[in-house]
Amino acid sequence: MISETGTQREKEIKIIGFLCNWCSYGGADTAGVCRFKQPTDLRIIRIPCTGRMDPLFVVKALIYGADGVLVSGCHPKDCHYAVGNLYARRRMELLKRFLPFIGIDTNRFRYTWVSASEGQLWQQVVTEFSEEIHRLGPNAGLNEKMDAETALSLFNTK
Amino acid sequence: MPMDEKTKTLQEDFEKNFADLELVIGWETGFDRLHATPVFIRQPSELGKLVWNPLCSQNLSGYLAKNLDASIQEDGKKIGICVKGCDSRSLVALIQENFIDRKRLYIVGIPCEGTVDLRRLMRLNPSLKNVRKVDIEGNKAVVETDQETLRFPIEDVLARKCLRCLYPNPVIYDTIIGTPVKPRISEDKAYTAVEKLDSSDRKQRLAFWKTEFDRCIRCYACRNACPLCVCQDNCIAESRKPKWLTQRDGIREKFLFHMIHGLHLAGRCTECGECERVCPVEIPTMLIKEKMNQIVKDMLDYEAGIDPEAKPPLLTFDPGETGI
Repeated sequence: MISETGTQREKEIKIIGFLCNWCSYGGADTAGVCRFKQPTDLRIIRIPCTGRMDPLFVVKALIYGADGVLVSGCHPKDCHYAVGNLYARRRMELLKRFLPFIGIDTNRFRYTWVSASEGQLWQQVVTEFSEEIHRLGPNAGLNEKMDAETALSLFNTK
Repeated sequence: MPMDEKTKTLQEDFEKNFADLELVIGWETGFDRLHATPVFIRQPSELGKLVWNPLCSQNLSGYLAKNLDASIQEDGKKIGICVKGCDSRSLVALIQENFIDRKRLYIVGIPCEGTVDLRRLMRLNPSLKNVRKVDIEGNKAVVETDQETLRFPIEDVLARKCLRCLYPNPVIYDTIIGTPVKPRISEDKAYTAVEKLDSSDRKQRLAFWKTEFDRCIRCYACRNACPLCVCQDNCIAESRKPKWLTQRDGIREKFLFHMIHGLHLAGRCTECGECERVCPVEIPTMLIKEKMNQIVKDMLDYEAGIDPEAKPPLLTFDPGETGI
């Protein structure tokens, strides 16, 4: 992507999207069929249901250097398997609140609900999230430079 | 009730009930009097080995789900087990998840005034030897050696989990030894360590965990000691399919391993502190689970291992949930 000055190439941003087969994947397809313009940073992984989402997928992706992770599924109470996304909702929210504690920027992770007919909403979600990740810049992951000594003084168990 | 008397009551209680038991799991004196170690008793004549003192830090409930097939009933006999407050919560969590059958257990609960963290004690007094007895009297840990009697403030020698313990009394038991004790802290102080870390900058926290996890040698002792890490040979940290971790020695693998351990205990950890106690490189692994518990309490108003009838919150859902 060409940056605003037009002279420099920005480091390519990679966002991993976990989309449920029945709603959000369809929603993304609808957006495509309707020719809504979408950012190109998102790599989609299709999952059968958000109930399949292991929070560790998100953690692993972020540790291994993905710049953002987006999880999207059917609206609660609209799950193809009736309750998969209700389980997922608890897990995702827990993860969202947990990530800052281990030092991962929680803004790099988002979960949302988009149904198969909501192409427009999908476009909006992707665009917003993609903009957010561009704002945050590339994810340095565990390579982030930090002052380890001040960090250790935070907590002394000895 | 003094320590010796509790030990005696404990032994007598098991003697009285031994006819119904096929096995008693408790603690005995280890290779010296500064160490206690788990003991498995099948003969009534061996009951004299049982001890109770502040060195009995091991959580014995882990053995039930992992090493013994406690859910199969044989000739109606039960397994006798000694539990502290924290251990009893692990027991409840295992019962909730159907790993063990409550009917198969004879639980002897012991109100606990805290267990001694031997590493902290030895750091405070590296030349300590010939220990005869360790006891807790009010706010002091009393260590009797052949030569002298030493007193240490409990803040300096108790395990970290004991200093923030809200459940010193067993939550489930058939017999209780001694009288219930009061928690040392109030409920709002339980998460001070987590809050302290939370109040720092995000980058500092990442640096903190990186430095801590960097020491990890991936011995998996934390996982093995955890009473609720029940996958055993199917643990995804070791399985090749799915392959979550490689054998590579790097911070990413170590970091991810601790995330696996932590996230698999979300809403289940009973804060027995075994992971932290057994860690050979002293990583404060329980902090991760404390944070998780804090979130679960905030979000879903649930504490693990209190009510045997309750369902762990991540194994269920509520369609009407709002705010998340």
